[in-house]
Amino acid sequence: MAVRAQRRAQTGPLERILADFETVAAHLPESIVARAARRRAAEQLRQLGWPSHDEQWRYFSLRALDRLGTFIPAGAVTGSASAAVAPVASQELAQQERAQQELVLQELALPPSLPGFERRVYVDGMQFSGDAMPIQPRALEPSWLPEQRLGFLGDMFAVDAAVLRVSGAAAIELVFVTSARASGTAVYPRLRLELAADSRVTLVERHLGEPPALTLVCATVTAELARGAQLTHYRLQQCGRTTLFCDTLTARLHDEAHYRVRQVAVGASAGRTSARVRLAGAAAVASWHALAVGRAEQVHDCMLKVELAAPRSRSDEVFRGIADERARVAFSGHIHVEPSAPGAEARQSLRGLIEGEGEVDLRPRLEINTDDVSAQHGATTGRLDDALLFYLLSRGIDPPTARALLKWAFLSDVLRHIEIAQLRTEAERSAAGQLQDVLAVGAVG
Amino acid sequence: MSDARPVTAPIERNAALAADAPPVLEVRDLHVKVGGQLVLRGISLVVQAGEVHAIMGPNGSGKSTLAHVLTGRPGYEIVSGSALFEGQDLFALAPEQRARAGLFLGFQYPVEIPGVNNAYLLKAALNAARRERGLTELDAFEFLALVRAKMQLMRIDESFLGRGVNEGFSGGERKRNEILQMLVLEPKLALLDETDSGLDIDALKLVASGVNSLRAPSRSIVLVTHYQRLLDYVVPDHVHVLAHGRIVRSGDRTLALELERRGYDWVGGEAVVA
Ligand SMILES: Nc1ncnc2c1ncn2[C@@H]1O[C@H](COP(=O)(O)OP(=O)(O)OP(=O)(O)O)[C@@H](O)[C@H]1O
Ligand SMILES: [Mg+2]
Repeated sequence: MAVRAQRRAQTGPLERILADFETVAAHLPESIVARAARRRAAEQLRQLGWPSHDEQWRYFSLRALDRLGTFIPAGAVTGSASAAVAPVASQELAQQERAQQELVLQELALPPSLPGFERRVYVDGMQFSGDAMPIQPRALEPSWLPEQRLGFLGDMFAVDAAVLRVSGAAAIELVFVTSARASGTAVYPRLRLELAADSRVTLVERHLGEPPALTLVCATVTAELARGAQLTHYRLQQCGRTTLFCDTLTARLHDEAHYRVRQVAVGASAGRTSARVRLAGAAAVASWHALAVGRAEQVHDCMLKVELAAPRSRSDEVFRGIADERARVAFSGHIHVEPSAPGAEARQSLRGLIEGEGEVDLRPRLEINTDDVSAQHGATTGRLDDALLFYLLSRGIDPPTARALLKWAFLSDVLRHIEIAQLRTEAERSAAGQLQDVLAVGAVG
Repeated sequence: MSDARPVTAPIERNAALAADAPPVLEVRDLHVKVGGQLVLRGISLVVQAGEVHAIMGPNGSGKSTLAHVLTGRPGYEIVSGSALFEGQDLFALAPEQRARAGLFLGFQYPVEIPGVNNAYLLKAALNAARRERGLTELDAFEFLALVRAKMQLMRIDESFLGRGVNEGFSGGERKRNEILQMLVLEPKLALLDETDSGLDIDALKLVASGVNSLRAPSRSIVLVTHYQRLLDYVVPDHVHVLAHGRIVRSGDRTLALELERRGYDWVGGEAVVA
């Protein structure tokens, strides 16, 4: 144990990641990511290097990764103390794994499923129930931008993947739970969405779990929307405070496809979303509405790059972040309108609210390479507006309630776009848990 | 609109109330600084239960400042003087305590609070006031019944309840919404800061009838206004002219008519002499 600790202290995370990868590589399932592709990912990460001084990584606490026990995925480790690694490919072992997960799952007391949704539960990055689907590894090889480089970790270590190929209409709820069994290790939830032309999908993606020790949840999401496909993607990050949450997403939209993201980040000790949405088809639309509420020492960091690459593509970004106590909340929104996108429209509204010693960093960036474009953007950060506060006080509302109401109001720009009532209540509740003041769920207008 | 009839005579004050009770509002020699500048320079004003006072005065004379200071808006420095509300030191109370004690401010510029819905605010405000008075809180049904009646009076559509506070309301709708809040809260003293500004003639009558419906021996109203027109509908017991941070003249409603004729220079000039 002492030897192990020493090794940790002497080498940086990248060396450890690569070493852990070498240890486990031979046993990782070929069916999820081809071995060669895993190696390529490792090589690319090595070449890019560990992001230490990069402006894009100022907030996500990469340092905390130094304290992580191992990068080897929980799903690839057996419960036995002696054998560090076992091949997951073994059918027998897989059965055993599943059985253990079942026990764990019962303890987890998952929230009730959303009505009308087909539900799948992933524990420690592995599918808990439901039929496994054949996967073509080829389809799972995304390419990540340097700001998304933690996505390579997912490519290297993933042991399972949720692949959804949808034509027609579907409503799906995916719950990713990190169990106590994964505590101190890493899990790599992996999600691939392939929407056929004109399909309509509502997808709820939730991340939960409270492992007792520091655990990395490193999720990768890739989405491909064919012509006219519509995807409403709700993302709730409600992990416990021992979790380091890192999520890397890439989406590609073809003609007239429509991608709506509604993201709520409240959990984890540090969370990072690195997303890239490419509007590759004419008149494709992306709308990304996100909120983050941090308190204590929490960090929520989101990097979103939207590439408008085709005529009449449109994007609409809304971010609302609250940093209370000593929390740090960051949003970097890069909009790139390419020369191939005449008639493009980009709107961006970023707002931060500071309470206590909190810190909010909003970085809008508009890069326009065509003349024919309409762009609107605004980024403001401040404290609660005294005039609004006084209005409420003058009506006899006590100060804590007034403050809570105004924070609600602030978040409502995002919350009101959650169209599933039960989910919205859930999102409100978890945002409420992050606010110090008396809460008034249901006050959102 | 027939209920907007003029109230021609002051309402008879209840003898029992008037006997020993302190005035509803008693301001003595109030000096207030804003942004380092002395804006109120010795205001004295006594409002008895059941009275309606009108305060007129040129732009920037300190009318809103007075209303804000009395209701506890931060940012004002009370240099000297006092303000008693039913004999209680007003400045010792927090803004929300003043509101619950029965003081209401109709804002000159009601703010928009998107995201906080009207119904929620009204109900929370009403129940806070009721708790203060030792009354039981209203449940959703009772509240709705009460608020519906008041909304009808103010001709405010019920759909406004579900909207954010003043969100996307026109200027006139905001002012009517202030009056609606006042009617729901039934304050002992309402300070209405230019609630008549920016209203069309029908809305003005509505607002006036709302104010008149609240008139009672136990309630007092202070109207800040630039226009004599409102006073045709809500007839004041006293009219004051505020200029340069002082009340330079007080009188009955005929003072308002005279002001309309002669303008503020007339009183402003006298103020300098006095
Ligand atoms: N926060 C502030 N900082 C500096 N000066 C202020 C501030 N608030 C008010 N004042 C000044 O105090 C004076 C009185 O303002 P106030 O709003 O009370 O006037 P008013 O009589 O209500 O005018 P109006 O009829 O235009 O509403 C004005 O000269 C105004 O500029
Ligand atoms: Mg004013």
